Amino acid sequence: MVLGNYKNCVSARAADPAVLSASQDGGIVTQLFAFALEEGIIDGAVVAGPGDEPYKPEPIVATTVAELMEARGTRYTICPNVAMIKEATRSYGLDKVGIVGTPCQIQAVRKAQLYPMGMRSVGDKIALAIGIFCMENFPYQGLETMVEDLCNVKMESAVKMDIGKGKFSVYTSRGAVSQIPLKLTHKFEQPGCHVCLDYVANLADVSTGSVGSPDGWSTVLTRTKKGETIWGKAIEAGYFETKPIEDVKPGLGLLTKLATEKITKNQKTLDERATFGVDKGLRNPYI
Amino acid sequence: MSKVVEISPTTRHEGHTKLTMQVDDSGVVTRGDWLSLTPVRGIEKLAIGKSMHQAPKISSRVCGICPIAHTLAGTEAMEASIGCIIPDDAYLLRVILQCANRVSSHALHNILSLPDMYIPGTDTHINPFTPEEPVRSVAQRIQKLREVGQTVGEIVGGEPIHPSNPRVGGMYKNISPRAQTKINDLVKEAIPLARDHMDFMISVFKDWDDRPMASVAGGKEVEKTEKFGFHDQGYMASDTLYGSSSLDLDQKWYPERWTEVRPWDWYQGELEVSLEDPDYPIGGTTPVGTKVWPAMEACTGVPLYDGAPIETGPRARLAMFRNYDRKGAMGLQIARQMEYMDCLYGMLDAVEALDTNGKVIADDIPQGDGTLGWAANEAPRGTDIHLTKVLNGKVQWYSLLVPTTWNFPTVSRALEGAPWQLTEVIMRAYDPCVSCATHMMVVDDSKKVVAQKLFQ
Ligand SMILES: Cc1cc2nc3c(=O)[nH]c(=O)nc-3n(C[C@H](O)[C@H](O)[C@H](O)COP(=O)(O)OP(=O)(O)OC[C@H]3O[C@@H](n4cnc5c(N)ncnc54)[C@H](O)[C@@H]3O)c2cc1C
Ligand code: SF4
Repeated sequence: MVLGNYKNCVSARAADPAVLSASQDGGIVTQLFAFALEEGIIDGAVVAGPGDEPYKPEPIVATTVAELMEARGTRYTICPNVAMIKEATRSYGLDKVGIVGTPCQIQAVRKAQLYPMGMRSVGDKIALAIGIFCMENFPYQGLETMVEDLCNVKMESAVKMDIGKGKFSVYTSRGAVSQIPLKLTHKFEQPGCHVCLDYVANLADVSTGSVGSPDGWSTVLTRTKKGETIWGKAIEAGYFETKPIEDVKPGLGLLTKLATEKITKNQKTLDERATFGVDKGLRNPYI
Repeated sequence: MSKVVEISPTTRHEGHTKLTMQVDDSGVVTRGDWLSLTPVRGIEKLAIGKSMHQAPKISSRVCGICPIAHTLAGTEAMEASIGCIIPDDAYLLRVILQCANRVSSHALHNILSLPDMYIPGTDTHINPFTPEEPVRSVAQRIQKLREVGQTVGEIVGGEPIHPSNPRVGGMYKNISPRAQTKINDLVKEAIPLARDHMDFMISVFKDWDDRPMASVAGGKEVEKTEKFGFHDQGYMASDTLYGSSSLDLDQKWYPERWTEVRPWDWYQGELEVSLEDPDYPIGGTTPVGTKVWPAMEACTGVPLYDGAPIETGPRARLAMFRNYDRKGAMGLQIARQMEYMDCLYGMLDAVEALDTNGKVIADDIPQGDGTLGWAANEAPRGTDIHLTKVLNGKVQWYSLLVPTTWNFPTVSRALEGAPWQLTEVIMRAYDPCVSCATHMMVVDDSKKVVAQKLFQ
């Protein structure tokens, strides 16, 4: 159950090389939203658009493929996408909203749909929620320190950042790669991530991430009926190349292992909160 | 011999009120008081010292049916005090919001009024909740009109109940071209519906006017009197659609004509109920022997214009700006229906004129030097006036003169000459919004004694 409920799992990548050129992995998020936009399944999507500073994203409502393309790639820092779902249905006038987010953000979307506190007429307008796998996230200052001080790269020069195989890697526009072991990054993690019990966006319509699939490819889980239908239509329309997950390495084994590690570690943190003080504990949002 | 009868509480309107009446032998009202019993929340006093940005957001919470009126009047009073002119596109967005709210509010009021009325040509009261035709389609049309109003409010206002988009200096956000098109489509969908609906509602109210006998829903049929709900008070309105403020060159409301008296000076003194009807729907009237004291119990001040009570609302707007002259309770109801089309075309014109790339916030938002500013917003129920003094961004003084407060004494006059059993029909014609009307200080809440001196 560490991977949540899902109907199907494949390894996939976008068929459009233009999408792949600057996507993080297989370009699943960008390509699927572009398909949904063209098909009228959504009329816009909340994505992490460019912000004022390099690698500091701002949530935007993308209503064109060009805007989706601008938002490609992972920014390892907080981007409050959920803050835009209400506005998307207000001044943007959307009726069918797409949203991408980390597991916690997809949880927020689902909670807003079931318990719409101050979220009048938002719930029924969420048309496609794509979740991205997430082990942890970093505050912007933490990311800046990791990149500029530990990796010795100016934020302005970075073209891609990636976490994988035990390392945090920064790629520059001049072709250099700078890497540090992940254990150096731990102290910069956002503390709230340490109580997070979801690795693969269990509540999304479609979840995707890099782990499990080779470089340039993504692992894709279709979870809901809606997610399965849209994914099926996109495959039929030739938007993606796929391979059965059983045929790729490292496959679901590694994904399951990492998910288990995250949940086990964070469950322990949660349990410790109960006896954090002397005769008193800290809050547990799950009970 | 005159007797005292009291309907408490009254129903099918917003808030909490009662009707305390002296009637003659045939049950016709000779002196009536309609008064608010809604607990006072004291918005005006608690706003003092708060920022000019927060106060209108608080006054929005005076009422959830017409929060647009209080948000806009409050915001524009602040703007009037500090002398801030908002950009044209912000104004257009506010106009759209205003019209959307009026459509929604009038449609809601139809639901409240219809149970007193009859399916024209029959003796069947209209039950808006029945699944049967022809009423079912009417109810669905009403809900559709409300949905359009609330959806448009959501898009331009950020929220249809307590709009988030208006702010001192303009609006937080312009809307997207897609949103502009959506509003256009929704309004065009609503126009033919509203036209049919207006015709239907007017025929229902005319039918009622023409009947010799009538009852409130579920009540006993009594003989109606001529001039039902007539009064001799004047009208007050600042515009047909939007409003006026002290920043206007051509101001349409005159603070110097406004005075305020305490309920003590205006309402009836101590009385004892001497007539009771246990069958009055639903639950009967106040029991014989109950002591009542309107002058002490009323929770609103009595605002006067030129020294007398006035009527404000749809008929006042049409009477002052369109030569409308139908009197009585049904005259007011009919005027309200006539406003549907103005609102929808008002929205359409504004949304077509809107530049979605236009600026919606003033470049310069002064902090205020304590100058008195006022803004009148033509709320669904009439002229909603907010007056304020802002100094260094903080509210120094704040006062709300809301439509139903103006109408309380006027309705009291309009009750005279009507059979007491039908007085709620007169009151409902004013679409009362009593939480709006009740917002002043109380000295002693347990005894409901209103502050002696309320205005500087
Ligand atoms: C903080 C973080 C941690 C992650 N950890 C893992 C992990 O441990 N294992 C793993 O397999 N995958 C992880 N991912 C997911 C992975 O990095 C890719 O985002 C994912 O595979 C999608 O790639 P793509 O090529 O399909 O998407 P693309 O086509 O590149 O699109 C990526 C989408 O993600 C959005 N996005 C980018 N940054 C953020 C952000 N900070 N918050 C919200 N949305 C954002 C973009 O707007 C864009 O729409 C993580 C992502 C983030 C943001
Ligand atoms: S680890 Fe959990 S809480 Fe932290 S960003 Fe990822 S999904 Fe959100």
